[in-house]
Amino acid sequence: MSEKLNYTQAFEELQTIVSEIEQGEISVDELSEKVKRAAQLIKICKLKLTTTEEDVNKILKELGTASTDDDE
Amino acid sequence: MLAVVLGYSATSNKQIKTEQTMPETVNDKRVFSLLEVTKSIQKTLDDRYKSSFWVKAEMNKLNFYKHSGHCYPELIEKKDGKVIAQIKSYLWKSDFNRVNNNFQQILKEPLKDGIKILFQAKISFDPSHGMALWIMDIDPSYTLGDLEREKQETIQQLIDEGIYNKNKTLRLPLLPQRIAIISVETSKGYADFLKVIETNSWNYKFFHLLFPSILQGDKAVQGITGQLKRIRKVKNHFDVVAIIRGGGGDVGLSCYNNYHLAKEIALFPVPVITGIGHATNETVSEMISFSNAITPTKLAEYLLQKFHNFSVPVQEAEKKVIDKSRRLLSEENTKFQSEVKLFRSVTENILITNRNEVKSVISSLLQYAQFIFKNQNDYLRTAKSDIVKETNSLFINAKQEIKNFSITILKDTHSKLNHYQLIVSQLIDKLYSQSGLKFKSILLELNNIEKNIANMSPTNVLKRGYSITLLDGKAVKTIEQIKSGDLINTTVFEGNIISIVNSTNKKTDQ
Repeated sequence: MSEKLNYTQAFEELQTIVSEIEQGEISVDELSEKVKRAAQLIKICKLKLTTTEEDVNKILKELGTASTDDDE
Repeated sequence: MLAVVLGYSATSNKQIKTEQTMPETVNDKRVFSLLEVTKSIQKTLDDRYKSSFWVKAEMNKLNFYKHSGHCYPELIEKKDGKVIAQIKSYLWKSDFNRVNNNFQQILKEPLKDGIKILFQAKISFDPSHGMALWIMDIDPSYTLGDLEREKQETIQQLIDEGIYNKNKTLRLPLLPQRIAIISVETSKGYADFLKVIETNSWNYKFFHLLFPSILQGDKAVQGITGQLKRIRKVKNHFDVVAIIRGGGGDVGLSCYNNYHLAKEIALFPVPVITGIGHATNETVSEMISFSNAITPTKLAEYLLQKFHNFSVPVQEAEKKVIDKSRRLLSEENTKFQSEVKLFRSVTENILITNRNEVKSVISSLLQYAQFIFKNQNDYLRTAKSDIVKETNSLFINAKQEIKNFSITILKDTHSKLNHYQLIVSQLIDKLYSQSGLKFKSILLELNNIEKNIANMSPTNVLKRGYSITLLDGKAVKTIEQIKSGDLINTTVFEGNIISIVNSTNKKTDQ
């Protein structure tokens, strides 16, 4: 998955696919593609739930410069 | 009963020395039991405070006990935000019910924590429970206490500035995953909070960073606003700020009603959530924060709930996608199956029709063929019998001809045979007569030849006087064969002469 989706986009796209499927707007021909895409989105969403990318050191570094500003 | 009264300020040392009757003496010191002391205090207080009086104080907590119905209010007095007086009190069930009714009638509010009250009380001292104020009545008209007034003022000010709902109207990210925590590292509330978010059984992952601050008392306002300002600098790294307190008493929470702190929270660009950890008496900071939970644990559960709100629809979506896809496929399959079924029945019908046609053709073909066979058979049979008849008549004719022919042959042969037999017998007769004549002439000739031969035999010669001389068994034909002295054998008729030769004489001419 090379594309950079944030979880909100992933979540919304997933909901769209679900409602399309629920309302029977998807033909059998498209189904495979849609299900594949849904699986990708579900994977992205689940991954978001169980991982974070924040770096404490980076924040502390930014805070270091910030606190100097604060003191002035 | 002790009759002793221990005097502190009211009585002199001298008086104690003279009036005490039963003190123990240990190591030259006079010693009282705790009960003696407390009884003495009780006596003194009873003597000193004989009537009830009216008091104003803040009722920090009501401490209503549901089971007994009694209340044990926590009474304080503050100056410049600091507690300068504090005492326990009790409010019996019957008094409480009466006072509470009054409050509800007059204030439209029940008796509750954090209000300033004016009450009628008596000093009460019990050796086993210590000192307390017995509240006999509360004047509901003397309502809002200092704490509550400050609170109301802060609220009003925030409303006036139009920022009361500012933090509440921010948008919390779908997954509030990155948390800036303002708390004390060693506090129980912080530990409770971390325990819930870090050991959740769904493996939800949070990122959190602690910004330590004092959380109660006067210094909390400065500490918390200072950390909020720091977080503001790195706000892009965080989804939510959590102010977490817990494990301390409920005194000192008035700082959360402070205008400056409340304003900082209201204007904060990131949602601020609070878990201050007390049973009642919601502070302004909690009221204006994005979300407030009663305890740090509840606050952590609130965040987990946000994750659920995201996760559950994802799971449902997963389930729906699977279910609906399956159903869609199964419906298509059913349609397809029924098409197949229809197709099969149609084709089967066609097959049956055609098969029947073929069958009828076959049977008529068979009938016709049998008919033809029968005809041919009959024809062949007649032909066969005709042939047999014809052949038989031919045979009979041929036989007759052969018979006739053989009879003719026989007749001819007989006549020829008779003819040749006659000839042969004539020839035999002729042969016989001819051969007899010949035989008689040959026999006569033979007899003559026999007579000649008999005349010429040696015997007959000898008879006529001839002899035969033999030397050494051989006939002597010439005189040269004989010499004098030879023994010779001379054969004559009917005998032999043996003689020795005296001399020989050869004839000269002859």
